[in-house]
Amino acid sequence: MTNDTIIRAENLSLCINRGRPNEVWPVRDVSLQIKRGEVVVLKGPSGSGKTSLLSLLGCMSRPTEGRILVHGRDVAKLPERFLTEIRRKRFGFIFQQFNLIPGISVRENVMLPLYPVDISFREMRERADSLMDRLGLSGRSHFRVKGLSGGEQQRVAIARALVNDPEVIFADEPTAHLDTKLSSDLVGILEGLKKEGRTILIATHDPLLYEQGFIDRVLEMRDGSIR
Amino acid sequence: MRKHLKILEYALSSLWRRKFKSLGIIAVFSLIIFTLSSILLLTYAFKREAMEVLRGAPELIVQRISAGRHEMIPSWYGKRIQEIPGVGMVIPRYWGYYYDPSTGGNYTVMAAAGRGDRKLEMLSGKYPPAGGEVVVGKGVAESRFLSEGSRIPIKGSDGQVRNFIVAGIFTDESSLLTNDLIIMSLMDFRDVFKTGNERATDLVVQVFNPDEVENVARKIREIFPDTRPITRKEILRTYDTLFDWRSGMVLTMFGGALLAFIILAWDKAAGLSAEERHEIGILKAIGWETSDIMELRFWEGFVTSSVSFLTGLIGGYLHIFFFGASIFAPALKGWSVIFPSFRLLPYLNPYQVVVLMFLTVIPYMAATIFPSWKAAITDPDVVMRG
Amino acid sequence: MHKHRIFIAAIITEILILMVLFLSGISRLKSAEGLLQRKTELVKSLMLTDLSVWTEARYTRHPSQADWFAPFQDYPSSIEHFPAGSLLHPPSGAYGEGVE
Repeated sequence: MTNDTIIRAENLSLCINRGRPNEVWPVRDVSLQIKRGEVVVLKGPSGSGKTSLLSLLGCMSRPTEGRILVHGRDVAKLPERFLTEIRRKRFGFIFQQFNLIPGISVRENVMLPLYPVDISFREMRERADSLMDRLGLSGRSHFRVKGLSGGEQQRVAIARALVNDPEVIFADEPTAHLDTKLSSDLVGILEGLKKEGRTILIATHDPLLYEQGFIDRVLEMRDGSIR
Repeated sequence: MRKHLKILEYALSSLWRRKFKSLGIIAVFSLIIFTLSSILLLTYAFKREAMEVLRGAPELIVQRISAGRHEMIPSWYGKRIQEIPGVGMVIPRYWGYYYDPSTGGNYTVMAAAGRGDRKLEMLSGKYPPAGGEVVVGKGVAESRFLSEGSRIPIKGSDGQVRNFIVAGIFTDESSLLTNDLIIMSLMDFRDVFKTGNERATDLVVQVFNPDEVENVARKIREIFPDTRPITRKEILRTYDTLFDWRSGMVLTMFGGALLAFIILAWDKAAGLSAEERHEIGILKAIGWETSDIMELRFWEGFVTSSVSFLTGLIGGYLHIFFFGASIFAPALKGWSVIFPSFRLLPYLNPYQVVVLMFLTVIPYMAATIFPSWKAAITDPDVVMRG
Repeated sequence: MHKHRIFIAAIITEILILMVLFLSGISRLKSAEGLLQRKTELVKSLMLTDLSVWTEARYTRHPSQADWFAPFQDYPSSIEHFPAGSLLHPPSGAYGEGVE
């Protein structure tokens, strides 16, 4: 069933400030496989390397050692352009800080990944609008991001992560800025995404999230390695 | 194509969310282009008009120089010059300056030329003036509130005040040439300035063959080493360099405006804030390529500079050719008391417009694109941390 | 939405305005040929050599007739280049006060 493996990591290590006195290894010798439709949680205290591993798997940074295969293709050595293309076409990201762009409207934020894609304005808008409908943001499309509540901002971030119809969704500490009520809303949304057959990778240390029944696997991280 | 339009769309949204900053930059930028284009259009139109009308200037003028200063020339010089082969008529010119204490203006006083039988253009009234009469330029008439038939007192070098009757006034159309003129008869000129009967201000020398002008000038210098022949070519060259955009005031204003612009561009270049960097990181993380981000910055620079350039240029054109350079006039006027109104013909030098564009639009675009280059090629995972 | 349409329309409008201005300029130049001709005639009749623009000094009123060092004839410490000389105020004392 190898073609069901979307991402495969082999002996991944990441080193920052290599050769300098402040050299650190946030990720050490990690090997794992992510299969289609799986929901995987990377669990661990802060500083355990969850976020770094997530950005390696999400093709946002390159490993110092080891290989990352996306659909069987080693991406670690590919030029920047291909990594960008993978992120644009296959991945969606929900950041801890939401990373929305202030000043432009909610709808423009949701459409953000689609600007460099060769589709029409109309299609772009339709996709954004249907996602915003689904996430209960339809009345907010012309609002500025600053005027939204934390939960709404998160839903905008989720809509943005979904707008390019990604195979894999990466979520970094998605409940960090949410209260219990909003967190369980988020759980509902993630569950729905799983039902659609999307693969989800979550980095969190929030029990409310990793103790949910729809989670397939929990990988515990400490000091950059999976135990 | 669609992709480029969409990035343009995003660039516009991006500019619009910082409305005040963007509009402020466009306003300042437009103002700079307005100033620069006004200067360029004004000086070029000036120059072209001077070059056009001064083609009618005498082809050779002979001045006498004494101790390095312009001196009256004795009329026997003319007789000797007339003997040079190829020389036609030698016509003495009589002119000088008159400071009018009551207005503080300097007027140019001329004796009516020998060819007074010709009917004069752009004059209301009669010409040549008879004894006791003068013909004046529009500026003189306005500064002294003169109309045809009024009197104008002129104090001679003997201290006596003579009252002249205004027999004619040059029309406004000719102001650029006649604004400060007072033309009187030769008899009156000699009487007012006590120049004597044997001396003229300078001599106009007619040369039959235009190719011979330089030769004749050289011969005149040989015969009279104390003279300075001035050819029409030299007159035109004077005006060519006078209103050249590299000279004097033009350069000063141009330089000032350009400096202001460089400061603006520099500020823009150095001003890639942490916020902007973070934004570039977000765009990269969600799948924008480095080239897309460069294109975004390109559009931002293009929108700002093209709107500013066109607005400034339109403004400058209207300012110079429809409003008579009204904003510049006080500065241009300098210390002159009488000054002609500008009704310049809209001569335009496409080369200057292109130069202006290259000196402003291109550096601005470069200043917007380059700083984002470094940010755009860094790894996007910075947005994951903090 | 569709700000780029507004932008493109604005740019095209501005370019059209410029074109209209330039074209009207060209026609104004054409119709001014007669005027220029008459001005040239006037220059011929009066044997003029210069434009009557700046009248405050010899070398600004008749730049083509002035000597190379002409500005110094008007006041000793004036700035010697033409346009600068017409824009800058002569230093105090140049007209005699305070000068022995």
